[in-house]
Amino acid sequence: MRGDSFSMNIENIPDSPMVSRKKKMKIRKVFDKMTQWVTPWRSNLESPREMMILRGDVEQDEFQYASSHCLSSYYSVFVVRLAIMVMLAILIGLLTVLTWHFTRIYTKQSLKTLAYGLRYELLQRPVLRMWSVVNTTSELTTAQVKLSEYVIKKSDKPTTQEELVEMYQAMKDVTWALFASAKALNAITINYRNGFVQAFHRDPASSSTFYIFSDLKNYSINGIGPEDVSGWNNQSIHGNMSAIWYQQQLDPVTGEKLGKPLKIPPDDLINIAGISQVPDGEASWHVTVSKYMDSPLLSAALPVFDASNKSIVAVVGVTTALYSVGQLMRDLVDVHGGHIYLTSQEGYLLATSTNGPLLKNTTNGPKLMKAIDSEEWVIRAGAQWLEKTYGSKRPQEVHAENVKLGDQRYYIDSFYLNLKRLPIRGVVIIPRKFIMGKVDERAFKTLIILISASVCIFFIGCVCILILTNGVSKEMKLRAELIRQLDARRRAEASSNYKSQFLANMSHELRTPMAAVIGLLDILISDDCLSNEQYATVTQIRKCSTALLRLLNNILDLSKVESGKLVLEEAEFDLGRELEGLVDMFSVQCINQNVETVLDLSDDMPALVRGDSARLVQIFANLISNSIKFTTTGHIILRGWCENINSLHDEMSLTVDRKKPWAPMKTKLVQHRNHLQKSCKNANKMVLWFEVDDTGCGIDPSKWDSVFESFEQADPSTTRTHGGTGLGLCIVRNLVNKMGGEIKVVQKNGLGTLMRLYLILSTPETADQNIQPDFSKYGLVVLLSMYGSTARMITSKWLRKHGIATVEASDWNELTQIIRDLLEMGSRVNSFDSQNNIADSLRAELSNIEEIKNPVFVIVVDIGVLDLTTDIWKEQLNYLDRFSNKAKFAWLLKHDTSNIVKTELRRKGHVMMVNKPLYKAKMIQILEAVIKNRKRCNGLRNRGNGSDESHDCLEIDPTQFDTCSSDDSSETSGEKHIDKSVQPSTLHSPVLKNYLIDATNSNNDDSTSASITQKNPEEEDWKDRLYSGIALDGKNLKSLEGVRILLAEDTPVLQRVATIMLEKMGATVTAVWDGQQAVDSLNYKSINAQDPTEEHKSSEEETVNNSINPQSSLRNSSPYDLILMDCQVKLLFTYEFNSTC
Amino acid sequence: MDTLIAQLQRQFRDYTISLYHQGFLDDQFTELKKLQDECSPDFVAEVVTLFFEDCEKLISNMARALDQAGNVDFKLVGSSVHQLKGSSSSVGAKRVKGLCITLKECCDSQNYEGCVRCLQQVDIEYKTLKAKLQDLFNLEQQIVQAGGRIPQVDI
Repeated sequence: MRGDSFSMNIENIPDSPMVSRKKKMKIRKVFDKMTQWVTPWRSNLESPREMMILRGDVEQDEFQYASSHCLSSYYSVFVVRLAIMVMLAILIGLLTVLTWHFTRIYTKQSLKTLAYGLRYELLQRPVLRMWSVVNTTSELTTAQVKLSEYVIKKSDKPTTQEELVEMYQAMKDVTWALFASAKALNAITINYRNGFVQAFHRDPASSSTFYIFSDLKNYSINGIGPEDVSGWNNQSIHGNMSAIWYQQQLDPVTGEKLGKPLKIPPDDLINIAGISQVPDGEASWHVTVSKYMDSPLLSAALPVFDASNKSIVAVVGVTTALYSVGQLMRDLVDVHGGHIYLTSQEGYLLATSTNGPLLKNTTNGPKLMKAIDSEEWVIRAGAQWLEKTYGSKRPQEVHAENVKLGDQRYYIDSFYLNLKRLPIRGVVIIPRKFIMGKVDERAFKTLIILISASVCIFFIGCVCILILTNGVSKEMKLRAELIRQLDARRRAEASSNYKSQFLANMSHELRTPMAAVIGLLDILISDDCLSNEQYATVTQIRKCSTALLRLLNNILDLSKVESGKLVLEEAEFDLGRELEGLVDMFSVQCINQNVETVLDLSDDMPALVRGDSARLVQIFANLISNSIKFTTTGHIILRGWCENINSLHDEMSLTVDRKKPWAPMKTKLVQHRNHLQKSCKNANKMVLWFEVDDTGCGIDPSKWDSVFESFEQADPSTTRTHGGTGLGLCIVRNLVNKMGGEIKVVQKNGLGTLMRLYLILSTPETADQNIQPDFSKYGLVVLLSMYGSTARMITSKWLRKHGIATVEASDWNELTQIIRDLLEMGSRVNSFDSQNNIADSLRAELSNIEEIKNPVFVIVVDIGVLDLTTDIWKEQLNYLDRFSNKAKFAWLLKHDTSNIVKTELRRKGHVMMVNKPLYKAKMIQILEAVIKNRKRCNGLRNRGNGSDESHDCLEIDPTQFDTCSSDDSSETSGEKHIDKSVQPSTLHSPVLKNYLIDATNSNNDDSTSASITQKNPEEEDWKDRLYSGIALDGKNLKSLEGVRILLAEDTPVLQRVATIMLEKMGATVTAVWDGQQAVDSLNYKSINAQDPTEEHKSSEEETVNNSINPQSSLRNSSPYDLILMDCQVKLLFTYEFNSTC
Repeated sequence: MDTLIAQLQRQFRDYTISLYHQGFLDDQFTELKKLQDECSPDFVAEVVTLFFEDCEKLISNMARALDQAGNVDFKLVGSSVHQLKGSSSSVGAKRVKGLCITLKECCDSQNYEGCVRCLQQVDIEYKTLKAKLQDLFNLEQQIVQAGGRIPQVDI
């Protein structure tokens, strides 16, 4: 990748701006990456919004980053490997070379020394032989001379021919004796002064011995005196044609004459030493050739003096063949190889180790050959080399190695043997391979072996390095991956954190305008002058705004929890009531969907608990709304039961057996409990268990955990049909965890979802336990006629548990039948006969009821049982009316039951009406009303039937929710029915509230917002009133009764007007001129002013356009309930004011 | 006697309606009147008096600020106008309010000429209104003195 771009850059060099920009970008990128890498926290500084928007880019970036990183790490690993390999190679190469070098050097050195010795030895032998030859020759010559002298002296001055012949004969014998004794001799010659010659000669070619003599007749005995020595010359020997030469063959051993002496021509003569060879009377040496010999001859000549030692009488010459030297050299060479040759000082070959000829044949007979002319190639080349190298000034000893002759290398050694009169040079030429051949070969082999071994080791090492570094590189890669992952995670966490914080901080800013919008819309709706179309539009806007606010609240809640800013309140509240209200509210929605909503709280639930009611309600509101969303038919049950945390341990085993999936949660709970017990020993902690059970589509078990994550939905496709953001359950889990509990989806039999959660809430010490009224003693018989089977079942179960006989009826027919059975005592027998289809259980129930003495019948009739679609319901009502003196009817109304029905019911004297759904508290209410009414009836029996007493026990259906719940409370508060005749003290259980709908007041249902109770100006009511979006007009002048208001306004006119307006509505107004006064006034009023409610009032608006914060209004300990302040009030700005407070 | 009262009442009614029709007053004044009851019988007069005092003060403030030809403190003028606008709207002085809005705009755009012109108009307008209301209150007093009831005027 990098390489490509690089090459592209090179190609594009002409259009440099492009390239430079690219380069810059690249550099910039790299720099960014570096900085990112080096300073990861920098990314944290980026705004979270941007992070979110750029997430896609970031991912891409990361991807590139990752790949380039991988590449670079790959390169670095590669380089490291290469480096290690190179080092290894160098090391191994060095070792190899050194090993080879030293081995070779030492071997060579020692071999060379040995070779030198050998060469020296080789040369020395022939030289010594030569020397011995020379010595032998010399000795023989000397011996011959001495003998000759002796013989000649003896026959001193022969005068006669006979004497002379006798002397010659004696000489011949002596000489023969000598000649015969020395086999190596070639010839002995004696040349007398008178020219007579005697010679013995061996011819090695024919291996015969000859005696050669000249004709004696030509010599005079006294012819030549010693004075005539100068007359002697060599010419006289060869050139003297007058002399006749005879050759006689002799027996080589005995010296017997064989045959006759033959005349031989002078050409066939051997060399005869003459007087010329001994000019100074000293011995002389010559190298000669003979035609009988193919090798040079060494001849020595000595003069023979007479008795007086004054004149030379004869010359003795001894000739020795150098053949033996050559023979020796050949022998030597056979063993050692190479070539040896000896030359005279002039360069003539004397002997060689070869068989080649040493003489060259010329017309004048054989002649000595120079070494450089030798037929033997090696000798010639060596001589030439020596000649070329040293020229004429050759040193005495030459040792040359590695002389290249031809294509081979040789050792050449030369010695100089300084013989007197016959200096000799010896040259040894040995091919290098004879000595060093093996060594070289071995060295070469060693080198090969070493190199191959090195290469092997190198490759093995490389493989090892690869294997070793492979692990390292893998680890590096993993580590880099890990670091990157951690980095990414940190960034993601940071961004998420920033998001949460941002949202948490924005909560006020987001909510305020929404509240204003909704408030303004409420004002607009309450205005009369809107046309129908406008009204519809505005209502739609109102709904949308509410939805938006709900969503905002969800998100804000979530972020609040996530950013840890959520603080749970600790206030006492009536848990049952909150849940009942919740169920009431949702039942409206459910009835439309044909879904039953059932509240099933166990009796041991504490009435009052401490905690954050708003958040608790929010939990269940979210859960239930979620269930409703996915449930089209069936029921939604909210179950609740309770466990004391201290008794939890004992129940553990039991519960674990029963609810296996909860085992881990339980253990956790125990841990949690231990922790709790440590932290707050005194607090009376309760574990409240809840279940929300629906018959909806259910959740896939694999998604059971993930549904609680944010923005997670079990089936994303449902978003289209059901909407939602997936935040609800996340908020729920967060809240539950915050309350010390846990939530989980549980396996359920049948369709739907079962969410189970527990909360740990403390109950106030002083709280009196929920006193369950004992109904069993009143002999109550309840006939439940509801067509929602679940609710009916649960209610009847509860009733039976409390000793109240209960009969169930699911539709009109069943109802009438049972009513007849129960109430028409007279016709009972008939009815039993006619109604054989009554179930056995029902019959048993009925028979039980019969045994009750003086039973009080309560008939709870669902309005849905009546046929409301036609007018039949009136007849049905009339039918039921017949039993009204025997039984008390309680009606379950739907929220949309028409006024006609209600009026009709009221007209008939049915005053007990409750809105659906029916749950425990409402049932208790009904029963209590019945019991009380009965008592009173008994008491007032004489005074007649006072039906109007029933007013006493009638009350509204105060479904109240805190606005914090994720569902909009202002919708429900609009439906509030407020009674002017509240008498809660008449009930013997103070915690029970009345749920019955007031009959007399129901006409005012439509104008609920206008009728506001002033009797009990509790904070809650005040809040509700404000929140219901009341337009403050003249009709409800006293609606602000008892409210203390601090008004800060600097315009006198406005201040006056506002004061009057507020006072007209009953509020107590304290007006101040500026912010400072307001603060002073606050401080003066109450030192422990906590958190007064703030109200931002725009100075232009006359009407009190409220966007009050209902949460803070709950805290009623401040001196003022409300502070109205101009945003631009003098001396102190509102925001500073807020902070001051 | 009754005829006098009836005449006065009719006059009062006509005058009031004319004030509304000519745009001197608006619904806010009606609201103000509604707030007046036994507890605060002179509430309207009181508020109106307060308003005129305020007006006078604010107008003189503004005039002083605008007199300094070199460096007019438009911010000061603006805040005064704002107050005046609030006061006038709370009293229901419709024309004054409208002029105040114009003046505020001039002020915001730092239009010196416009400011001076508007301020003069405001001055005139508030004096006119003062005179008219004075007449109205006189009429009211006459009716009360004559023993009649101040009629409710529905606009």
